[in-house]
Amino acid sequence: MTELPRSSRPATPAFLDLGERLRQRGQLEAAATVTVAGLGHYPTLAAGHDLLGRIRADQGNDAASEEAWRAAIACEPAHVGALKGLAFLAFRAHDFAAAERHLETAVARAPHDASLLAALDRVRAARPSAPVDESLRLDDPASGMLLCDADGMRVSGGLGQDRTAAAADAAAAETTGLLREAVRSARLLGLGGVKHLVVETADARLAVVPVRPGAALLAVRGITTPVGRLVATAQRSAAVAERWIEGLQ
Amino acid sequence: MLARWEGLLREVIAIPGVRGAALVSVDDGLVVAEAAMDQLDGADVAALLAALVSRAARVTRTLPAAPPRMLHLAGDAGTLVAVLAESPLWLVALAEPGAEVGRLRVLLGDLAGAVA
Repeated sequence: MTELPRSSRPATPAFLDLGERLRQRGQLEAAATVTVAGLGHYPTLAAGHDLLGRIRADQGNDAASEEAWRAAIACEPAHVGALKGLAFLAFRAHDFAAAERHLETAVARAPHDASLLAALDRVRAARPSAPVDESLRLDDPASGMLLCDADGMRVSGGLGQDRTAAAADAAAAETTGLLREAVRSARLLGLGGVKHLVVETADARLAVVPVRPGAALLAVRGITTPVGRLVATAQRSAAVAERWIEGLQ
Repeated sequence: MLARWEGLLREVIAIPGVRGAALVSVDDGLVVAEAAMDQLDGADVAALLAALVSRAARVTRTLPAAPPRMLHLAGDAGTLVAVLAESPLWLVALAEPGAEVGRLRVLLGDLAGAVA
């Protein structure tokens, strides 16, 4: 089947609504038939693949639902529904780390979605080694995680509680310059590509981690935070940020 | 004084995987003392560290936080660790991948107090 020309496409294709209604009525075969046919016309519609993932999950076919949700992610890297679905499958398979990763990416996209936040709490509680006190909220100015783009503009986050947005903007501008200098130094000294830069002062520890393409993540913590933990948190946040940025593009 | 500093740097390069160590003045980007820097250009190390410290200080000022006292730059092919000794002097070491970086950080911190 051929994809419909953009001009003739409705804003929300009818098959999504019909497929969802059939799914909710328990008519799963019919729902799947409608959705697969709709995807034939809209193969890059993430919402369609997400719906198919939910139908396959209702049918108890985890492999097919995972395939559908991965197709949704391929169309839209930070699709919240698909990320929730993949997290659900990972959680059921006791892969709590993967479940947490998917949900963190989803939360970065939809920071005020209560169901996502609750799911993330459930996953972290179920994970024996979960760093429960290290919340990962890229959109939260109080998180002490600051994401900045290649031009030194603040993309999200902030420097922590009681720190102003103006201070975060200034830090973003300087962080990009610092990372650029670190990349230059590493190249000239034969250190290879930068993995991270840790800066320690008398009262704070900072980690700067590159986030492709050209962006940087600054993590700010107190001096008592162990260095290894700071770096691990910053790298985990950078991985989430990378997927989040891909989703924005 | 120079002999004592070189003695401190020899302790640093005794850690397996450390390629070289130097005492650098970041105000003017000059090497004050160095050890085992045969495969590294000391002047490059000093100049780059001076630029890094300056850039890091600009970030800490925006927080605001105290000035930097330690830098740890980790790359795919090696690591740089630098610790403020007696301002403007910094102890800096470069290490290969797999070196005991944790031990290097602690030792540089301990030796920094002995530079003055």
